Amino acid sequence: MIIRSLVFGMLASAVAVAAAHAQDNRNLLESKESLYNNIYVYEQPPYVSMTFGHNRRIYTESVYNTHDDKDLPVDYTRYMTASLMYAKDVHSILEIGFGGGRTAWYLHRFLPNVPITSVELDPTVVQLAKKYFGIKDEPNFQVVNRDGRLFLQESKDKYDVILIDAYRGPFVPFHLLTKEFYQIVKDHLAEGGVVAQNVEPSTMLFDSAVKTINAVFPQLDFYRADGNIVTVAYDGAERRGEDLAAFAHDRDKAYGLRYSLADMLNERRRIDIASGKVIDANAKVLTDDFAPVEALKSIERHNRKLP
Amino acid sequence: MKPLSATLSFSIYACSFLVGGVLMGFEMLGSRYLFPYFGGGIGTWASLISTVLCALAIGYFAGSAIVARHPTQRSIALAILIAAAYLACVPATADPVMETILNSLGDGASATLLASTALLLVPLTLLGTFSPIAVSLLTRSADEAGRVAGLVYGVSTIGNVVGTLLTTFLLIPTVGSRAITYYFAVVLAVCAGALLLNPVKRSV
Repeated sequence: MIIRSLVFGMLASAVAVAAAHAQDNRNLLESKESLYNNIYVYEQPPYVSMTFGHNRRIYTESVYNTHDDKDLPVDYTRYMTASLMYAKDVHSILEIGFGGGRTAWYLHRFLPNVPITSVELDPTVVQLAKKYFGIKDEPNFQVVNRDGRLFLQESKDKYDVILIDAYRGPFVPFHLLTKEFYQIVKDHLAEGGVVAQNVEPSTMLFDSAVKTINAVFPQLDFYRADGNIVTVAYDGAERRGEDLAAFAHDRDKAYGLRYSLADMLNERRRIDIASGKVIDANAKVLTDDFAPVEALKSIERHNRKLP
Repeated sequence: MKPLSATLSFSIYACSFLVGGVLMGFEMLGSRYLFPYFGGGIGTWASLISTVLCALAIGYFAGSAIVARHPTQRSIALAILIAAAYLACVPATADPVMETILNSLGDGASATLLASTALLLVPLTLLGTFSPIAVSLLTRSADEAGRVAGLVYGVSTIGNVVGTLLTTFLLIPTVGSRAITYYFAVVLAVCAGALLLNPVKRSV
């Protein structure tokens, strides 16, 4: 899970982009070099944050409010839960990219009867999440240590909601951002299921990611969160606002959600993807064969207006 | 011993550079073939790198054995041509092969090693035979051997560097992995052609 360092900077009232050894009032609880990341866990009461070091910057993957188990301090993680008002049923949830596990845990706390599976590549991340982020072994809550794509490829289960938030520092591994990957995701959706994805919108990778998701899912709704965008993708016809409002109302009530779906619905945006006005007409659909994610990531987006 | 013609010695050095470039370029491409199936972790890279180094070791030993028997242009040209043919088959067959390995062995270290072996071992072993044979072709007298070996390995290592950088920063961002594989096959075929077309070196 990532938010840009800027967001954490605001949360921690620290500098906008924190250098790895910047002097601030955060207290380093633990640092670990795992198979995949350099992980730093910081404490600034009441918050604990998990960050990955990457070329002298620190990317916040997860923030936990130790005084409030049901708080989601990071804006976009709230919008990931907007997917709940889209799914026809909510009998099972899958998350790819566990990180500190806060999004999955929030859903688990409000939907204790719904089995939630979260897949995380890095075993050290899971270990630190259990140590510092209030994640416990409980029924209906399962964390699998596996590459997200491999997990799906081998799984025969279907899910009503799939949340995708697999970042390593600033990057998304390319094999989790291709058309073939989204096809596998679609094959694991139950009827009426939805996919929510966290996308970082400042570079040209955003345009390609949107086109790629759209190549597999005809419908894409956008939710703008502080510094990130959450897309909700689904098959079939565009969902009407009043139908979503009815679902939002029912589910807000049924689950007693802290972050109301009805409020989130007000932030729903649609983009005319084909027009080329918002999404670059030349942006290419990413495939297993051609997915230059690093190169796209290095090109700033032009000033085209986001939703 | 007859001196080597200037064109032949030039083509051997040029091929040494190009073969070196394709060798490392294909290692970088290997990651694009493997990641979708075995994940993008450090384990996949370790498998790729160790397979390449194994292939080179086998190639060097095989090259020295060939030098003892048939140190001709034709032998290296043939090795490069078979490697080219192997690369040309990779784009169409890689996916079913990776899938089969994934389905039968899972995604552990043995599966990743087997997959990178299937992808890289044969062509890179063949390319690995190039340098020892090239040194033998270019050497006219024993006291020259060290100088020639240094030149061949230097040129081929520069090829390695160029191949790595060009593939990573230019080709992968602009062309698909399958197309790059075909380009590499063509480059190798051209090298083999250039070696075959040059007048054969005659031993004294």
